[in-house]
This record gives sequence, structure tokens and C-alpha cells, in this order.
Amino acid sequence: MSLGKYLALDKLSNFFNIIKQNGGIRASLYKMYRQDELKDGVLVGEDKFGNKYYENPRYFYGSNRWVEYSDKYNMDYDGSQVPAEWFGWLHYKTDLPPHMDPSRPKYKWMIEFTENMSGTTGQYTPYSTTRPKVEPWIPKRKSNA
Amino acid sequence: MSLAKVFSVSTRARASGASGLLFRHAQYSTSNQEGKVEKVYPPNVPGYKYVNAEDPDMSFKEMSNRAAQTIFWTELARGFAVTLAHIFKEPATINYPFEKGPLSPRFRGEHALRRYPSGEERCIACKLCEAICPAQAITIEAEERKDGSRRTTRYDIDMTKCIYCGFCQEACPVDAIVEGPNFEFSTETHEELLYNKEKLLLNGDKWESEIATNIRADHLYR
Repeated sequence: MSLGKYLALDKLSNFFNIIKQNGGIRASLYKMYRQDELKDGVLVGEDKFGNKYYENPRYFYGSNRWVEYSDKYNMDYDGSQVPAEWFGWLHYKTDLPPHMDPSRPKYKWMIEFTENMSGTTGQYTPYSTTRPKVEPWIPKRKSNA
Repeated sequence: MSLAKVFSVSTRARASGASGLLFRHAQYSTSNQEGKVEKVYPPNVPGYKYVNAEDPDMSFKEMSNRAAQTIFWTELARGFAVTLAHIFKEPATINYPFEKGPLSPRFRGEHALRRYPSGEERCIACKLCEAICPAQAITIEAEERKDGSRRTTRYDIDMTKCIYCGFCQEACPVDAIVEGPNFEFSTETHEELLYNKEKLLLNGDKWESEIATNIRADHLYR
């Protein structure tokens, strides 16, 4: 073990490296506020919504892959904003990010990913997809009355 | 007694470590050591482990050690040291929703109805899923379509009845109904969880990339 490591100087250099990677003190403070955590890592990819995916194997399994939600979401980020293509990579099902996985199907009927819309105007409301089996009788109005 | 001994963090850890077991066995087998109280219980039989608090060692050296730790508050200092050390430790928890836990390709989450690559819906309204559903959460009505094929007109799943057992996807002969990987579909109202056919097909269109990848990952076991 080197002397620097013995005196925990590598931790100090990690700390400054993390601040540098996250864009200085101001940006780091904002990130801390938004994400409760400040980490350094390699940018693996970015999806079409602007979410960025990072990896750093120094952290233990379970927190060595993470997503930084797009700035346009501000503080309204949500777990369901990770699109289906990146879902597997972020959940450690595969080591292949979607742009390096040629076997992922791309059919023209596949639709744009949406986040969980519950509580908004875009939420799903159930309706019947069949005709009602019992139709109510609507009496005809008398023409002369 | 030296200061290093007083502030020793590892005294207790050493006593309860691997050597502690051997030590305890020795303690019970030779009861005439200085300061040790002779015990009848537990029997010195392999396979038994004494789990109750043990009587403190009453030799003069050990007694003075304990007194010194109390007088100089070193227990307190050691306790704070442990707390301080944990502040700098990497937490064992993950920072959801930025970090997410590992999932299996077989994970059974939100349901989806799949399509063939051509865009034709897979479900042929055989009603096997409806029959096998132990919670009776699935309701299906079928009709002949204009082109003569048999399709569902109603495919409702009450997601609040569903127990996510996965029998429906196992029963399905055409891989139409699947339990997708999504688990982030919580809603604010109950009625939003009463899925109809349109919603299930939309789920399929949305998640097809991940559903197909999961099925392929499991192909050796299917």
C-alpha cells in the first residue's frame, strides 16, 4: 500500500475529482440538492429524453450504475422516466447498453415511451371495449303534449 | 496499564472473534482457572452453543481493566469512533430513483399484451389465462373479427386483484399476455388499475424492446 493510500489521500483526490466532474462547487451543490448524492463515473449513454446513464465499478453492486434525469424535468424526476430500452441495463439484466445491442427489436408499431401519467390529465381512465349487453329503454316522447 | 490498552478499540472484537469460541470451550473444560466461576451448564458437547450472557471474568487484571474503561470513559470514546467511522462509509442503501436494484429477466411486473412483428395482436382469445387465473382477475370476451379471425373484444385485468403469480403468461400458447418488467405503475386512484385491452396493448407497444429481450434471455428454459 502506498503512503498516499495509507494516509487516505486517494479519498481526498476522489473528492476533488467528483467536484470537478460535476461542474464545480455551485453545480455540485445543486446536484446534491437534486439527487442527494454526488458521484463520479463514466458516461455510458444518453437516451432520447436527455437522461444520462453513468457507471463506476468502484461503487458496490447495486449502486454502480445510475441515471441522472434530464435537466428539463427539474425536481419532477420519477423512476418511471427510464425508457424501456435502458431499463434492462439500469437493472443489471444486461451489460449491453441499447445502442450496442443489435438484437433489440425495433418495430414500426412500437410507440414512444411515456412516464407513469397517474395524477395528470394524461392518466388512463378505464372504459369498456365492448357494447353493453343490456341497453336501457328510452321511451319515445309524445309528439303532442 | 498502557494508554494503548485503555483506548484499544479491538479488545472486545477480539474476545468475541473466532478465538473466542476456542477460548470458551477451554473455559468450560478447565474450570479451575484463576477468577473463573465454575459452571455446570452448558455441557461441553460439540453442536451446542451457549447463547446467554456470560459471567464477567473476576480475575484482578480483568476487573481493573473494566474499571479503567469506565473511569476514563473510553467506552464513550469508542462508541463515538464507531459513529464517526460510519459517516465516512459507503452506505449499504441505494439511491432510488437514480440507482435501481438488480432485476431478473423473469421478473413479473405490469401486464402487457404483445403483437407479432407484423403488428397483428397475438391474443387469440383462447381464455386459458382467464381459466388459470387464481385470483380471477382476468375477464375476456371474444368475437369473430371481420376477416374471420378470432379475437378478443374485451380483455380486462383488475390489477388490484392480480397476485402476480405469472400463471397467465405460462398458460398463454402464443406469448400474448406477459408480465413485463415494469413495476413503476402505481396510481393515485383505484380505477386507473382496472386495465382494459387498449391499455394492455399500449403497454406491450411501449415495453416490447424490454419484453422481447427478457424472453430471449430466458430462451434456454422455455
